[in-house]
Amino acid sequence: MAVASVTQAGIVGRHHEEPDQLYVETRELRVQGFLLFMVSDLVLFSSFIFAYLYLRNTGQGWPPPGAPKLDLALASINSVILFGSGATMHFALENWKHRNFTKFANWIIATIILGAMFLSGQIVEYAKISATWGGSGIFGAGFFTLTGMHGFHVFCGIIYLTVLLLQALQGKYTFQKYTGLTLGTLYWHFVDVIWVVLFSIFYLY
Amino acid sequence: MAVAAVHSGGIADHIHPEPESFLRKYVFSIDHKIIGIQYIVTCGIFMMLAGALAELIRVQLMRANGGFMTPDTYNAVFTMHGSTMVWFVIIPLLTGGFGNLIFPVQIGARDVAFPWLNMVSYWIFPVAGLMLYSSFLMGAPVAGWTEYPPMSLQGGAGTSMWCAAVFLMGIGSTLTGINFLVTILKMRAPGMTFTRMPLFVWGQFVTAPLLMIATTALGAALAALFVQREFGVPFFDPTKGGSPLLWQHMFWFYSHPAVYIMILPAFGMISEIFPTFARKPIFGYKMIAFSSCAIAILGFMVWAHHMFTSGMAPTLELPFMVLTMLIAIPTGVKIFSWTTTLFGGILEFTTPMLYSIGFLILFTIGGVTGVFLAAVPFDLHAHGTYFIVAHFHYVIAGGSLMGALAALYFWYPKMTGRMMNESWGKWSFWLYMIGMNGTFLPMHWLGLWGMPRRYAVYDPQFQTWNQIESWFSFVMTASILLTIFNAIWSIKYGKKSGANPWRARTLEWQIPSPMPYYNFKHVPSVFAAPYDFAEPLPYRGLEEELTDSPPPVPAAH
Repeated sequence: MAVASVTQAGIVGRHHEEPDQLYVETRELRVQGFLLFMVSDLVLFSSFIFAYLYLRNTGQGWPPPGAPKLDLALASINSVILFGSGATMHFALENWKHRNFTKFANWIIATIILGAMFLSGQIVEYAKISATWGGSGIFGAGFFTLTGMHGFHVFCGIIYLTVLLLQALQGKYTFQKYTGLTLGTLYWHFVDVIWVVLFSIFYLY
Repeated sequence: MAVAAVHSGGIADHIHPEPESFLRKYVFSIDHKIIGIQYIVTCGIFMMLAGALAELIRVQLMRANGGFMTPDTYNAVFTMHGSTMVWFVIIPLLTGGFGNLIFPVQIGARDVAFPWLNMVSYWIFPVAGLMLYSSFLMGAPVAGWTEYPPMSLQGGAGTSMWCAAVFLMGIGSTLTGINFLVTILKMRAPGMTFTRMPLFVWGQFVTAPLLMIATTALGAALAALFVQREFGVPFFDPTKGGSPLLWQHMFWFYSHPAVYIMILPAFGMISEIFPTFARKPIFGYKMIAFSSCAIAILGFMVWAHHMFTSGMAPTLELPFMVLTMLIAIPTGVKIFSWTTTLFGGILEFTTPMLYSIGFLILFTIGGVTGVFLAAVPFDLHAHGTYFIVAHFHYVIAGGSLMGALAALYFWYPKMTGRMMNESWGKWSFWLYMIGMNGTFLPMHWLGLWGMPRRYAVYDPQFQTWNQIESWFSFVMTASILLTIFNAIWSIKYGKKSGANPWRARTLEWQIPSPMPYYNFKHVPSVFAAPYDFAEPLPYRGLEEELTDSPPPVPAAH
């Protein structure tokens, strides 16, 4: 593939550039800052999860009238797709670390596609219960807010990964300096972990 | 002369080029010191707005049966007074203002970890403030700074604007918390272990996780209120299965740590000022540092003490009461440590020292009334009365704000190279003590006699004391105005200060005043905590800082 090999040559040409002290120290700052940002994002989700569980358990009867019936099968398939995308992202980063640009590109494209499939599945789920959007009471309050926020995070993640791919194609990252790719992978795994919790409280509880 | 600092090529040698244009220097600066000053000035402006609102309240309350405001207007006034003071004055002043200005220099860093993000955090502030005040034009928020539903579900669009404005401000706070935490964890000078950090840095260090974690929880609550108001999502509507109590839990889970955000930096400020003006090491350095950690952690576990009368499950009352009382222990440890620091010292009663002593007395009073309120039977009587208003004004106006004023007089030379006028400073201190106590002390007994808070009209039996309070509030306002005037006047006419007018020992005093853009020509190394007045300064590598030698250039890559 012409694009990949041209940029691969460019990357190879710089592959001897060792990360200097400034880069190493700045990378530590960036990774820590990003992790802390994810902690605060986790607090945001936790607050809404608390709100949902609180409302569910304050004895006004469950499920409330007007609550939709969720499709467990669809959501399970969707979950497998999302967890699969976590695996593909892991492989993408591993291949980068092993200096295989082509495989990195293929795996990250696979991640993006799987992420988009997850979002489509969510849209299908929303469409199936569209009759209840207005009147679903506190179930909807929790469900649509949380899955909506999560879906927004997935959407931003897809854009983020696409940008990373484009940057990698332009040679922004070398095989020694690829902090952006590490952070993108962390973010994608974070989105995965949140989904585990959401799936459990909406579909399994 | 060989200088012992190490050129590693890392962050310590990474110096921003000096900004050239006016915009880059003073408007869109990424320099933590300029950003700190920007925060302090903006907080000063919001303080005057919130103070004007407070005086409107006091003028209204001079008459028991109707001053000049309708109840709706009165509700809007105290709502905006509280919202401004908490989110647009005290929190940004103590963290973004003095935090930014001073702690990076105290740890021997050249800037914070994410300077550009720091600038973004600042610029969110005036934008969010404009949004907040625009709510006056669209039906102001009226349910108090706590905006409990169902009242907060009613009324004009101003409440939704309030949600958006505070949410936006919260983003700035969260980013600041992340920035400060990474900076302190990763950018301390060589040799500066945690137990060699100045206590002001400890104050910022324990506050940063609160900013980061608690503020996001508030954001969730505000978002939920917003979507309920605008899209009918029934989080808090009991007719649709929601719960007004849910708001209280979500709101107070943030807002209790918020009060520790407001006080922990002030504890740090006092811990710098007392040793300096007692010429004695701080007593109990480690106890002060670790008790701050305890307060930060415990602060997340006590929120429901604001909800004893809310109708929440009674079984929650005892644990929250006990945990709340527990916080008095680490706080008391500090009060005793500061008092012991003064004991046997050679005291210099400069303005910052006077404000700090005022802090010690007034915060203790506020803290003691807090312990009363922690006791559920007492709180059942005092909740919703002026006793609460007295308590929190003692800890905020007598604690946080006095700490900030002490910090202003103390660190003004580092901002401007000049001293504030000392005799006006002493006047402003005494006016503050008289005014603040005269305004808020009677609120204790008014509350216990049964005067409810947030009422535009009240029972005439309380009128005399209300009038007294209002007259004293004008004295307090005069004090603040004098301080602000002093700060502005002294920029041009203040006595030149030199690098270290107070003969203090932390790193910011070892570089010129005002502080140069690069902070240090050579990042020093540190080999002890700074408080031992009997010893020489515990730093190496500072020989060139106060000389005429040229500023450092970035290490070549």
